[in-house]
Amino acid sequence: MKKNLQWKALLTVLLIAGAIFFVYPPGKKIKLGLDLKGGVHLVMKVLTDDAINVETDQEIARMEELFKKNNVTFTSGTKDAVGKYSIQGLMADQEGKTRDLLDQYARDWAYSFLGDKVTLTLKPLVVQLLRDQAVSQALETIRNRIDQIGVAEPLLQRQGSDNLVVELPGVDDPDRIKDLIKVTAMLEWKLVKGGPTSDEASLLQATNGQVPADCEVVKGDPKRGQGGYYLVNKVSVVTGKDLRTVRRTVDEWNSPAVAFSMNADGGARFEQATRENVGKLIAIILDGKVQSAPIVESEISRSQGGIIRGRFGAQEADDLVIILKAGALPAGIKYLEERTIGPALGADSVRQGLIAGVVAILAVMGFMVFYYKMSGLNAVFVLWLNVLLLFGALAYFKATLTLPGIAGIILGIGMAVDANVLVFERMKEEAALGKGVLTTISLGFSRAFSAIFDSNLTTIISAVFLFQFGTGPIKGYAVTLIISLLANVFTAVFVSHLIFDLTVKKTAKKLSI
Amino acid sequence: MEFFKTPHIPFMRYKYIALTFTGAIVLAGIINVTMFKGFKMGVDFGEGTLIRVMLKSHQPVGDIRQLLQRVGLGNSVIQESGKSGREFQIRTQQVVKVKAGDQEQMEAHEALANKVIEALRGDATKAELARGMKDLNGLDEKSLAALLEASFPGSGPEAARDIVAHRNVQGIITDFSELQALNLKPEMLTFLKDKTFLGPLTILSRETVGPQVGADLRKKAVMATIWSLIAILVYIALRFKLEYGVAAIFTLTQDVLITMAVYSFTNREINLTIIAGILTIVGYSINDTIVIFDRVRENQKALRKESLEHIMDLSLNQCLSRTLITSGTVFLTVGALFLFGGEVINDFAFLMLVGTIEGVYSTIYQACPVVLIWTQLFKQKKGARR
Repeated sequence: MKKNLQWKALLTVLLIAGAIFFVYPPGKKIKLGLDLKGGVHLVMKVLTDDAINVETDQEIARMEELFKKNNVTFTSGTKDAVGKYSIQGLMADQEGKTRDLLDQYARDWAYSFLGDKVTLTLKPLVVQLLRDQAVSQALETIRNRIDQIGVAEPLLQRQGSDNLVVELPGVDDPDRIKDLIKVTAMLEWKLVKGGPTSDEASLLQATNGQVPADCEVVKGDPKRGQGGYYLVNKVSVVTGKDLRTVRRTVDEWNSPAVAFSMNADGGARFEQATRENVGKLIAIILDGKVQSAPIVESEISRSQGGIIRGRFGAQEADDLVIILKAGALPAGIKYLEERTIGPALGADSVRQGLIAGVVAILAVMGFMVFYYKMSGLNAVFVLWLNVLLLFGALAYFKATLTLPGIAGIILGIGMAVDANVLVFERMKEEAALGKGVLTTISLGFSRAFSAIFDSNLTTIISAVFLFQFGTGPIKGYAVTLIISLLANVFTAVFVSHLIFDLTVKKTAKKLSI
Repeated sequence: MEFFKTPHIPFMRYKYIALTFTGAIVLAGIINVTMFKGFKMGVDFGEGTLIRVMLKSHQPVGDIRQLLQRVGLGNSVIQESGKSGREFQIRTQQVVKVKAGDQEQMEAHEALANKVIEALRGDATKAELARGMKDLNGLDEKSLAALLEASFPGSGPEAARDIVAHRNVQGIITDFSELQALNLKPEMLTFLKDKTFLGPLTILSRETVGPQVGADLRKKAVMATIWSLIAILVYIALRFKLEYGVAAIFTLTQDVLITMAVYSFTNREINLTIIAGILTIVGYSINDTIVIFDRVRENQKALRKESLEHIMDLSLNQCLSRTLITSGTVFLTVGALFLFGGEVINDFAFLMLVGTIEGVYSTIYQACPVVLIWTQLFKQKKGARR
């Protein structure tokens, strides 16, 4: 019996020491959730259709070229839907040849002939793969951007098939961050064929109101002081993918600009294009908007690079560098949920949570000692132990403490003494029946156990489902409640019993309860 | 020490009165929800934007509503929060009805929120900003550092950090004289007075949930509730007899219904934390029920000749002191949370206060009567046949 007690005492001391070890110093070990620390919580959807559309457009261009090269007659290729396009104007006698070509070069596409038209559909497995890739790439790109911004301890996660969750603690300029994440950052250099003009009609006067097949109309970015319309080549000279380095710089008027250099391949194309187009305009287009359209003054050699200017503010130039370094998003994104918690509110919540917690614990302890005397003191001790174990477990599992989590802890304090009360009330009944002190203690614990077990278990059951279906702060609540109840069964039954065994003498006539 | 010796209250005598009372509350709640106010759904479930602001000085709610009325947003829900009279919670109502996708709806909500903030900041701020002044109550740390660094090379970031930290502790800077405590250079203070102004508010938080996530969260909340009810039912059915399982169904349903009914009469919103609260009440209230059932089973073995009704009364009375004490301690802690826990958690604390009282009531006057009535209905027939 005595030996048994020694082991129990040792186990308890070890657990206490372990909890202190994990939780000390609490300021560093306990991770606070966004709702307590302040920050931005964003849920976004990756518009994976974009990636499929890009793939389809590229495929149409590739097939048109292939058909031309192999002398297959056709009029045009058009996109019908997401992951679906058709090529019209085929000759009936070339169907076999076309089939051979498609079999060989368009393996990812299922095709069907109808009259003079062949319709191609991207195979579901490939669609799945492309969507999946788009989401992972988007996650990577956004991670790069956030790393460049320099946010401490960001959290980025995929959620479901095409949603991303981004949590940025301590960010105090959410609008800028949101824009930085969202921008597609597709940068292109395109040769200007006409413009700039103030409206689209005058831009197309030279071509009789028609946009030439190899050209497109783009608008200037009013933010960059580039109003007006440009007629530019559809095919870009170079794109953001060809960039080797980008950095902040100033232009000759000392205003912020972005300097870039090209990789070997892009540099060669850039060199050729500038050589052939001296004196003409070349438009620098970001996400479909012209940032600036400088005149090509001379050939720009492949190693030379250049600068992008566009009446940037210092912050804007910095941000452009960030997004160009991190690369373009493979697909657009849209926000589904945006929560910004300011640091002031978080700090206030922690302060009030602490006050409420202290008041709660003092009230409960005061009552227990007042009502149960020495046994109440026992309950008070194990209640502290319960709180200590709870924080130790939170630190050990690196669980996040949220505001509802604090509520869970405070609630847990109230519920924790339930087990003590069950035991003590039972002891009183047994004592009233005239049983001896030691018998009273052991009967109190053993008879109350089933009720303690059941009652904690049912609350844990509902908390488990909360954890399963909850998000963020609610998960935090469920976690603290579960840990608190588990710790409670241990402290209120095991440790409390141990303390009774250690402190109550065999010769005691009466239990202080 | 004891509050009372085991009392002899004939609880079961009043069971029909109690059941009627319960029915009346639930009915009132249902009528209230379906015909009058309905539940107020929080931003978590995809309706509007929630903005929390702190003002420089106390203002009555009416003044704020007036400001919003000028931009046509007078129907927003405006609540004072905290005791200072300077903190307000503003919920834009769902005036945006965009048929197109989520994206537009989300942006419309955001645009609305911006409009609210702009309206609250008022014309004075607009004029100052137009003059090129910066709002020291709205500036982020990095921008402030850059502004200061331009005129005070080397000391910008540190000063900005101190100022923003001060703002975070206070919530808002009400007067430039507060900054003297930060040991800023006098020239810097003059510079700040010159280049910046103190806007009338800071934004404490701002939350918008798009319809897609809102619908998703709503579904998850319902799933969590249903699954935990089922799990608890299965557990009770395994531990006790069928009639106790049935009683548990009624008790849990009553827990949810009564709490929601009472809640519907307050001006409070339903959000995710409230769902968590309801599930906690469900899990907690069943504790009580189990303890009583446990005692009933024990007493039935010992006192075979007694009627079930008498055994129920006896068990309830035996456990009464325990019931009151444990509910009392939970009530104490939840009360502390309600009084001191702050505005964000206040709705949850209120719900738990209701739930704690209700949990005791539902055990005595829902769980037990149902077992009793069920037994009378089915067991008597067996006797009659004999």
